[in-house]
Amino acid sequence: MSRALTWRAVLVWAALAALPALPFMSKFYLLLAFDALLFGAIAMSLDLLMGYTGLVSFGHAAFFGLGAYATAVLLERGIVSLWVCLLFAVLVVGLYALVVSYFSTARRGIYFALLTLIFAEVVYTFFRYTQTFGGSDGIQGLPAPSLAPGFAIDTPLRNYYLVLVYLGLAYLVCRILVTAHFGRVLVAIRENEDRARFLGYNVQRYKMAVCMISALITGLGGALYPGRSAFATPDLMLWTVSGELIIMVMIGGLGTLVGPVIGGAFFVLLQEKVSSYVDWYFIVIGLVLIFIVLFMPRGLLGIRGLLGGRRWRATA
Amino acid sequence: MKRVMWGFVALVAVATLVWVSAPAVSQPKVVKIGDLGSKVGVFEGYGKYQTWGIQMAVEELNAKGGVLGHKIEIVSEDDETKPAPAVRKAEKLILQDDVKLLVGAVSSGATLAVMDVTKKHKTIHWNSVSCAEFMRTTKFHKYYFSNQPDSRMQATGLAKYIVDKMGKKVYIFYTDYAMGQSDGRQFKTALEKLGGEVVGVAGAPLDTKDFSPWFGAINQSNPDVLFLAFAGTDSLRLMTQLHSFGMTKKYKLAGIDCFLLQQDLPSIAEPMEGFVQLNHFSPYNPDANMQAYNARFKKKFGTDANIAAGSYDAVLFWAAAVERAKTFDSDKVAEAHEGMCVDNTHIGRQCIRKEDHQVIMDMHLYQVKGGKNLPIARIAGSDSIGEAMVGKDPVEGFTWEIKKK
Amino acid sequence: MDYLVAVLLPQLLHGLVFGAALGLLALGLTVIFGLLGVMNFAHGELYMLGAYAGIAVIGLTHSFWAALVVAPLAVGAIGALTEVTTLRPLYRREPLYGLILTFGLALVFREGARQIWGGDMRRILPPFTGSTPLLGMTYPNYRLFLLAAASVLLLAIWLFFTRTRAGIVVRAAVQDAEMLDGLGVNVPRVFTLTFAGSAALAALAGLLLAPIFTVYPQMGVEMILLAFIVVILGGMGSMGGSVVAAFVIGLAQSLLTLWMNPQRVAIAIFAIMIVVLIVRPRGFFGREGVLE
Repeated sequence: MSRALTWRAVLVWAALAALPALPFMSKFYLLLAFDALLFGAIAMSLDLLMGYTGLVSFGHAAFFGLGAYATAVLLERGIVSLWVCLLFAVLVVGLYALVVSYFSTARRGIYFALLTLIFAEVVYTFFRYTQTFGGSDGIQGLPAPSLAPGFAIDTPLRNYYLVLVYLGLAYLVCRILVTAHFGRVLVAIRENEDRARFLGYNVQRYKMAVCMISALITGLGGALYPGRSAFATPDLMLWTVSGELIIMVMIGGLGTLVGPVIGGAFFVLLQEKVSSYVDWYFIVIGLVLIFIVLFMPRGLLGIRGLLGGRRWRATA
Repeated sequence: MKRVMWGFVALVAVATLVWVSAPAVSQPKVVKIGDLGSKVGVFEGYGKYQTWGIQMAVEELNAKGGVLGHKIEIVSEDDETKPAPAVRKAEKLILQDDVKLLVGAVSSGATLAVMDVTKKHKTIHWNSVSCAEFMRTTKFHKYYFSNQPDSRMQATGLAKYIVDKMGKKVYIFYTDYAMGQSDGRQFKTALEKLGGEVVGVAGAPLDTKDFSPWFGAINQSNPDVLFLAFAGTDSLRLMTQLHSFGMTKKYKLAGIDCFLLQQDLPSIAEPMEGFVQLNHFSPYNPDANMQAYNARFKKKFGTDANIAAGSYDAVLFWAAAVERAKTFDSDKVAEAHEGMCVDNTHIGRQCIRKEDHQVIMDMHLYQVKGGKNLPIARIAGSDSIGEAMVGKDPVEGFTWEIKKK
Repeated sequence: MDYLVAVLLPQLLHGLVFGAALGLLALGLTVIFGLLGVMNFAHGELYMLGAYAGIAVIGLTHSFWAALVVAPLAVGAIGALTEVTTLRPLYRREPLYGLILTFGLALVFREGARQIWGGDMRRILPPFTGSTPLLGMTYPNYRLFLLAAASVLLLAIWLFFTRTRAGIVVRAAVQDAEMLDGLGVNVPRVFTLTFAGSAALAALAGLLLAPIFTVYPQMGVEMILLAFIVVILGGMGSMGGSVVAAFVIGLAQSLLTLWMNPQRVAIAIFAIMIVVLIVRPRGFFGREGVLE
């Protein structure tokens, strides 16, 4: 169970890579799959924070949105190199995450949640009302980013493979962290923060680290989004989006890494399919969430064995 | 280990679910058109009438055998009045439903975003509601057509009346996104050019709850006329609040064409009394064509039509173009549109101008009296349409600065 | 002088009016937090439901005053039902589960309201119109009424908590529920009734503000953030604190719009909030050590 990479994970990843070969995978479905995997990866990075460290962030949408805007701003000005965009996104999101994590992790539980929420609201409000970034309409009509001069990521198929690589790398990073000593300290912090501190761990630093890692993974996901959508809008940063990310993690299962990926995919697909037939889609989502919290707090996969279904503490 | 296994199973199950629920192959001899607009939220009213206008046109066309022997089917989607969902739904309509015509959207921001999609996928795109200025200038593409008077047309038509008959000092209050900014710019330019004085400009965000923070500045600048560029429920709220502060009686009122739909007017008759706007339709206009159209509309939907029902014309134009081109191929259909005239639109005969694909519309100036939009002057289409400025910036050299006299 | 009257004074009044209503809203939220440890994300939706319930009652009775009585009771009942069925099982668990559950509740309520009443904006006409000349400016009567009514209500609630037995019981429960249980008080019932009361207050705030802001399903989402800020600023669990903070925020908001672009005012408010959370998370009157 401690292997960084199980062959089953490789198998799943390979299956996903072969997905476009299936006959019904039209452009539209490829875009859908893109969204599913992208948000799945982001939910997974949130799980690092929520499931493993016990910190609920209501501000993850801001990391996502900032990554998207970073890329959008460059693409808008004709800088289409994907690498430059990603680098810039890392810088921007990293800076913001530094500030947020420094202040938020100093507090616990609900204060952490509220601080992340309010920081995210500041970012949202700023982008929504600043005309240089397009105001409430955002930045539209973006060209596709290029991997190399002449090779643009401008088809759903290419975008899909890009996000697949991203998911794979994100999973690797998360898995390595979680199975290493670092991961165990996170769990220790979750179970009893004071005790971890008494044992000599610099709890603040660990919390900041995991917060930043989670933020950066999310921000990179955001940076990939304009390639698919050709726009970046402030709505990507609404706190209700952060809430949806939390729902994805809950559906999939706290503390499992893979669970939230499935939760994210499930959520995206459900939203797309159900909302076409039924416009009270959100009632379904709300009820699903309530149901999960009350009866299945461990989500689809759940925290099993190793974590013994222990109570998930956020306060000492 | 078991977890990943189950996860894989779940993923496959979901994939199968998605596959199974994929749309079946459509019947032969059916063509689909897309209706994209705000079905909820601040502009829901406009979206609803856009859909109805389309429905009425499709019904009439199908009764005569459809278009090119194909029965027309409408696929309606909600864009949530935002560019992002609009783009996704447009993609869905074009890529998944394979629509040959896209009518929409309601919000200018959404329409502008969707234009990127329709351009990329070469889909005929008709706009009957949004009135920002960029659609037929900098953002224009050959598959785009419009029968909605944009900000520039409205300014050209209305500004002179304001300066001549209502007052020289105007305060412009607009909704701060694509449409409102566009109206603000065009009207300020037009008013100043005609000798009016714009004593102040301010923008409030879309969906503002409380407009009173802006009232102090309005009162301080002491205008003759209050020009309002808002729409939908924002307008409703704004008028209620302006009225409660006594400002609707203090200043003369003017605004854009889509400020409020006719159906909302009776409930807000007193605050709106005397409001002047430029419009291409009103159920209270005695014009024979409008009355005939309104009668048909009322019979089918039980209520008077309004300007959003101009989508009726869009479908008629498209169908006529398809018949003329004898194919659904976008390039040929686009070409067939140019210069085309159709007789049985909601205001009679209208023609599409070749240069910027804008329908030349004869319009009227209306004033609200007793909750009804009554015509007070006629503006010929050629007077309001302005020159075609495809590719050119319609607001070059514009500044928001207030020139002190 | 002209500036003072035409611009500053109305803004001051706006701030007080809004602050009073915000106080009603935040009061319920802070009591629930102090009592149950739950930050109720659905509180904004209870506020919204109050306005819609008002519409329903006015539709039947054509009386705003009837709505003022019936709507809070109805929403209070909904609150009680919700508490018993969904929140009670969570008291033994971590508070963040409550947060997430109430987020789900908010979704259900919001979409439910949209389904029942439609997504477009509804109006509630103020029970009286007209404006009063006041110190050189004209101010709408209804807003003045709102200020008066909300203030009277806040006073009544203060009296309730300090002078009545029921109020004291609630305060005791906030302090130490276990002890209270040991003294033989039916604590679960206190929880339920308090939750219902908090819902009723939110509903009242929603209904009172509705003639100004109009009614639409998203109205709760916009208010909840502000309510959170007020609760934090005042001190989570401190009732007096939340009332004071509500007026402070209300005034800050309306006065800042004089000097800043109104669109940026929210950022200023958030910035204040962040500073408070960093420097003194317990706000004005919060208790030290609570979740710090």
